[in-house]
Amino acid sequence: MAKKLVTLRIDEHTLQVPEGMLVVDAARKVNVDIPVFCYHPKMDPVGMCRMCLVDVGRPVIDRATGEVVKEADGSPKIAFGPKLDTACTTPVSEGMVVITNSDKVRAARKEVVEFILTSHPLDCPVCDKGGECPLQNLTMAYGPGTSRFIFDEKMHLAKHVPLGELVWLDRERCIQCGRCVRFQHEVVDDPVIDFFHRGRSLEIITDSEPGFDSVFSGNTTDICPVGALTTADFRFGARPWEMVSAASLCSHCPVGCNITYNVRREAKTGGNMVIKRAMPRQNEGVNEIWMCDKGRLGYHFTESKQRLSEPLVRKGGELVPAGWDEALDLVAQKLREAGSSLTVLAGGRLSNEDLFNLRRLADAAGGQAVLDTHMGGGDLAALAVERGAALIVVNPNETRLDKFATHTLRYNPGELLLTFGGFLESAAGKVFAEAENALVFYGSNGLGLQQSTYLAYAAAELLVKTGHYGKANNGLIPVWPKANSQGAWDMGFRPASNLGDQLRQSKAVYIAASDPAGDDPALAAALDEAKFVIVQDLFLSETAKHADVVLPAAAYTEREGSFTSGDRRVQRYYPAATPRGLARPDFIITAQLAGRLGVELPAAAALVLDQIAAQVPAYAGLSYQKLAEVHEQWPIIGRSDVYYGGTGYENKHGLGVQLPCAAERGEKIDLPAAANPVLPSVPAGSLLVIPVARLYDQGATLRPTALLDGRIARAELALNPETAEKFGLQAGGEALIAAGGWRVQVAVRVDSHLPVGLGLVPRSTGVPVFGPTAVTIEPVQVEIKA
Amino acid sequence: MNQLLQKYPQEIQTILAKYPADRKRSAVMPLLHLAQQEPGYITKQALQEIGEILEMPITDIDSIVGFYTLYHEQPGGRYHVQVCTDLPCALRGADEFLKQLCENIGIKVGETTPDGMVTIEEVKCLAGCHHAPMFQVQGDGDISYHEDQTVESAVELIAKLRDRKEAA
Ligand code: SF4
Ligand code: SF4
Ligand code: FES
Ligand code: FES
Repeated sequence: MAKKLVTLRIDEHTLQVPEGMLVVDAARKVNVDIPVFCYHPKMDPVGMCRMCLVDVGRPVIDRATGEVVKEADGSPKIAFGPKLDTACTTPVSEGMVVITNSDKVRAARKEVVEFILTSHPLDCPVCDKGGECPLQNLTMAYGPGTSRFIFDEKMHLAKHVPLGELVWLDRERCIQCGRCVRFQHEVVDDPVIDFFHRGRSLEIITDSEPGFDSVFSGNTTDICPVGALTTADFRFGARPWEMVSAASLCSHCPVGCNITYNVRREAKTGGNMVIKRAMPRQNEGVNEIWMCDKGRLGYHFTESKQRLSEPLVRKGGELVPAGWDEALDLVAQKLREAGSSLTVLAGGRLSNEDLFNLRRLADAAGGQAVLDTHMGGGDLAALAVERGAALIVVNPNETRLDKFATHTLRYNPGELLLTFGGFLESAAGKVFAEAENALVFYGSNGLGLQQSTYLAYAAAELLVKTGHYGKANNGLIPVWPKANSQGAWDMGFRPASNLGDQLRQSKAVYIAASDPAGDDPALAAALDEAKFVIVQDLFLSETAKHADVVLPAAAYTEREGSFTSGDRRVQRYYPAATPRGLARPDFIITAQLAGRLGVELPAAAALVLDQIAAQVPAYAGLSYQKLAEVHEQWPIIGRSDVYYGGTGYENKHGLGVQLPCAAERGEKIDLPAAANPVLPSVPAGSLLVIPVARLYDQGATLRPTALLDGRIARAELALNPETAEKFGLQAGGEALIAAGGWRVQVAVRVDSHLPVGLGLVPRSTGVPVFGPTAVTIEPVQVEIKA
Repeated sequence: MNQLLQKYPQEIQTILAKYPADRKRSAVMPLLHLAQQEPGYITKQALQEIGEILEMPITDIDSIVGFYTLYHEQPGGRYHVQVCTDLPCALRGADEFLKQLCENIGIKVGETTPDGMVTIEEVKCLAGCHHAPMFQVQGDGDISYHEDQTVESAVELIAKLRDRKEAA
């Protein structure tokens, strides 16, 4: 329901805003800048810093009649308070008059700044915030030239306090606004930092293990209104005014956070543009003004010394540098020869443009386009995001989501079918059936390709059965492991039911942005049987080492493109860094190859998208112009104002386009019956283990970020104490786990929250468990040295 | 093992019973007092254990310990003499009072007498402003207020405290 509007005056502006809005926000709407420190438009006001003091008057009401008292000239009589009010805690009211530019208000601002500066070091020349610091700006605008406080009585506090290895605190610069603490408590519910002591001794502390244990910690460095919090990554890295911005997207997961890369030209890289930091870019429909630390810190793969910079061709058993023409001619010849026994295998971190051209190349040669994924169901994805809903969480193990869930259902991977079968009869099922809008987010936690495909179909059936399909704000949202897995489905890539066999039988295998050999030794063996292997990648991956030709790809940060997020929003990114060596964008490489096969493919990203729009029904009407459209978002952030939302960036380069679901386009959905999931039989003495996702995995684009080394998931087996005992395993010990042809040593973690008789292995840590797998286990005897 | 729970099962149950089961964290203050009773301060382990009992993040509990001067972060004397030096008290000479008191006792603010009996601390307003200089003495599970003090009366009191043998 729309809120009642109230009319008020702020300085010379008369405006109408919804009831309940805070004065500070109302002022921002008419471009009146009320300075703030502690107020943040995404958090509840606390009125702690007093920077936002303004003069507030209200109409005088005659108590007897209830009427507004009039002045002689007929205008309402306004009574101002004896003191100034904080604009950040005062809601607007009918007839209110706010004065923000009087001498009285300016004097108050001057005093508050003077007070805040009593113990502030003002070491702006060496401060990372200098240049984009609200305290610096407000000191220049309102601060007194000199202080009445005694210089020698300044508090001197620790200047280099690691709150963990990712975020550092300068205690002297902290102005105690509480934004960081409130963000961790209110916005992300990871209350791992807090205030300690009081008054001038107040400090920010963390007691978590590791320190500041939150995957959103970096956001506090954006909203800290001073240089008290800095990331270890950007600390002393560059001055804000030396850098330019490139609008981009995070490539680490399918949420599709809008980000900005700040880059600068550096002599030490030969004058190349180098990424200095990743910052959130506002998109209220996606990441608002936040991003996770994986995205913020995980950009270092671009500058990695291990990047491929020239094509390699195998000669005399060795991969040796070759020119592009030589490499491409050879590849084209092999593609032509392979014809229908060509397999093109692509990973979900490629852009839509890369995938589209790659698919066309596969078609041109007559081969098959295969997606490297362990999760299925992308053909059923629908749309929508809705807030304030009932949250039903169905998982085999305890996860953080449980905390927010209204209903939690646990299943044993062996009984997945039953969970869905009986779901509608359960209490949670009733809530689901009766809900006005229902969304199903499904992923592959604990599941393999076959089971997750089944899960997607079962979930789709559930949505159809309960009438939650074919309308906005309803549907199925896959939580993909890769940023653009959804785009890959849309471009026609499908997972292979038996990738090993398919590779073995191919005359030529073309692999882009995927590392099957590194993931699974069985696939490495299969690749060796393939006749000819072409690998197009950023790095000399395990798979590339098995290749006959290696083509160096430009990172997504070095060119244009678009990704389709898990909830099917198509968004574009722009070039940030200088491409490495001779590396070329994937879509250009494939266009050049197609040309050699006599097929013309566009070699400019915008033109590829035009073709996608023409050929992929869901993408009809899309263009780069359309993806670049923006409209004003609330709150207003990232401008050079003192209404300070943080150093995140305003979105000037595109909010993206949400794709309609099939039903909205008038297409009928076919619900193919998925084959029932088959679970491995577990012989006596073996254990059923399932793969689970970890944020900080050992993915090729995350590993080069050395700062995250301490938090990266290691190869481990997690089990319940009872199960551990049965297998003779000890917490903190090591074990050898083995199944069909592989044996890996892993660390043992014992966790009483896990179900009995089940083991959990993190994905992408070198243990080739891609779905429920029966493994044998031997404890490793650790020798204790005397 | 949760030693706090092992040591005071009855007391903890009684405290928890005062609050609704889904508002357990309300019990944090009494549990902190309980944990402080014996060691005289809040140990890191006690933070962990209270966190487990109340399902509360350790940092939040630590923050409460830091905020209230009734909780001690470090081992100190049997008695804590806590002198208020907040603004109203400072206007009545509390700063100078504290300085001279320390000189007389021979320790600095935050330090403990060599016999381990008395720690002198500086705290925020104790709501006795109009009787400044004033302080409170915390120890033996008790708190007492001492108002309109002079350095002499305070020194005398501290001498008495240091002479005490067993807990009263
Ligand atoms: S926080 Fe701001 S005002 Fe303080 S030293 Fe840094 S740049 Fe200067
Ligand atoms: S560290 Fe920054 S955000 Fe946190 S309280 Fe201090 S000034 Fe505010
Ligand atoms: S008191 Fe209003 S911004 Fe801090
Ligand atoms: S200021 Fe000292 S008791 Fe109030």
